[in-house]
Amino acid sequence: MSEPAGGMWAITWRRYRRSKLAVMALLYVGVVSLIALSAPLIASSSKSSLIGFGPDDVNVVNRLHPPDQQHRLGTDELGRDVLARMIHGARVSLTVGLLATAMALVVGSFLGAIAGYYGGAADWLLSRLIEVVLCFPLLFLSLAIVAFFGPSIWTIMIALGLTTWTSEARYVRGEFLRIREMEFAYAARASGARDSRIIFRHLLPNALAPVLVSASFGVAYAILTESALSFLGLGVPLPTATWGSILASAKTYIEYAWWLVVFPGVAIFLTVAAFNIIGDRFRDALDPRSN
Amino acid sequence: MLTYVVRRLLYGVLTFFGITIAIFVLVHSVPGDPISFYIGTHGAQSLSRPVLDEIRHAHHLDESLIRQYGWWLRGIMTLDFGNSFIDHQPVTERIAEKLPNTFILNVIAFLVAALIGVPLGLWSAARSGQPIERASAVTSFLLYSLPSFWVALLLMQLFSVRLNVLPLFGMTSDDYLDLGATMKLVDRAKHLILPVVTLAYAQLAVFARFSKSALTEVIRQDYITTARAKGATSGAVLWHHAFRNALIPLITLFGLTLPYLISGTVIVEQIFQWDGIGRLYFDAILARDYPTVLGLSVATAVATLFASLFTDLLYAAADPRIRLEAR
Repeated sequence: MSEPAGGMWAITWRRYRRSKLAVMALLYVGVVSLIALSAPLIASSSKSSLIGFGPDDVNVVNRLHPPDQQHRLGTDELGRDVLARMIHGARVSLTVGLLATAMALVVGSFLGAIAGYYGGAADWLLSRLIEVVLCFPLLFLSLAIVAFFGPSIWTIMIALGLTTWTSEARYVRGEFLRIREMEFAYAARASGARDSRIIFRHLLPNALAPVLVSASFGVAYAILTESALSFLGLGVPLPTATWGSILASAKTYIEYAWWLVVFPGVAIFLTVAAFNIIGDRFRDALDPRSN
Repeated sequence: MLTYVVRRLLYGVLTFFGITIAIFVLVHSVPGDPISFYIGTHGAQSLSRPVLDEIRHAHHLDESLIRQYGWWLRGIMTLDFGNSFIDHQPVTERIAEKLPNTFILNVIAFLVAALIGVPLGLWSAARSGQPIERASAVTSFLLYSLPSFWVALLLMQLFSVRLNVLPLFGMTSDDYLDLGATMKLVDRAKHLILPVVTLAYAQLAVFARFSKSALTEVIRQDYITTARAKGATSGAVLWHHAFRNALIPLITLFGLTLPYLISGTVIVEQIFQWDGIGRLYFDAILARDYPTVLGLSVATAVATLFASLFTDLLYAAADPRIRLEAR
């Protein structure tokens, strides 16, 4: 391993970019994020917008129209432009994916940090709690939470966040067990810092790298689950456009509207794959044993 | 070993209480009274106060939450989840009726995934560093990034709509009862293919990845280097020293698979109109049939608990380090 010197992040990035696929995945996520952010500008009813259609522009005369010059990806059962709906759907997918993961990250890091730092009873309790959560088929649980508390972008995020924090908690706990015995932790303790300060200011920042790997997989899982919930009709309520809900209507018209099946599916697949590839490559780049 | 087994079982009991408390708390934090939903589904909008009180009393809803939990737990222990709000059948019976259909689907999907995925993973790990290893890693990644409902739609479009060789959905054809014994079997098999593929491909990728990393981990160990240094051929090293040790971690994976399979059945059974517990659960959720939702939630979580207990004990039997460390 003859790597030039540099901080941990610099080394990690140098290793990360050796994989062309992983760099492409990162670029893809960047582009999709930009599209999602500027969705109201590029896909609105105003003729000056890039697409020329908004996600809710109904035109029943033009329903289930295959892709052509005007509607690049065709229209759905109400004559709405599929491309415009997909661009707005990207907003839902990314928002749910990122916020649900952020929630899992906060809950998981907090519990994992407490358990790893104090050990003993706190650690025992967290292990039992994780055992309980892992016994639930996650989609079952998310479905019940979303259905009973009313489908909305918020209940979906909370349902996903509450069911997926366990892997983050385990990573943080593991890291804490390792670094709490390091010299800088002793130094912080010797300087008389409060526990909360040691945990959140000194230890947590040093425990975050492996957690970010699991967060990247978490985003992929959250996007997949959100689209599954929307597909089953228990996702973000209509008429909000989501990738999953376009696929749900595709099911009804499966006999002839192939464009309704293909395009939103490709969007979900590429986005989920990109986050999975980023997480995988990032993990390899952090691992000193791999080259 | 005995200490380990006893402790693991005690933790299992704790987890069981954790599961029931979690479900109970979840359901009781839902806004609204279960009884009002119950009555709503039966058309009677306004019932007199005494009648309402009587219904509440019959379902122990007039008692404290702790006592309600006690009643409910007592039911679970005797496999009594109450009666469905929809057809008033006992929930246990409804589950038992649908379970075989789900079971067939999942067992076949699991076997397909394991029998293809594990050898594939071991094979690609043994070719570490070659392009084939990288290619198979990427492929398995892409496979489990595919949304299952989308795969199902694509399969339906290709095989049922375009080629018209496999049925679109259902468990049997309309003329099933008129078919001969052999044709009945063929008909059932044809209906199984698409749901099985939809359930199996992602699991297959997980198995392949997991067994690959298990073998890669073993190959890094000192005793493999020692075996090589002693002049064993690479085939002998892999076969005698590496494979067996790599298979041990797979035990845990098989235990963890159950909740994923169960989650997967909701989607697959919904799309292919397969009459199993995934569809039962989904319909119960839409109808707010609380007893069925509660019963199935407890049943699936407890099934997972048993699977993980079983695999942990099996793991301890296979790997002495586990039970020694855990003392």
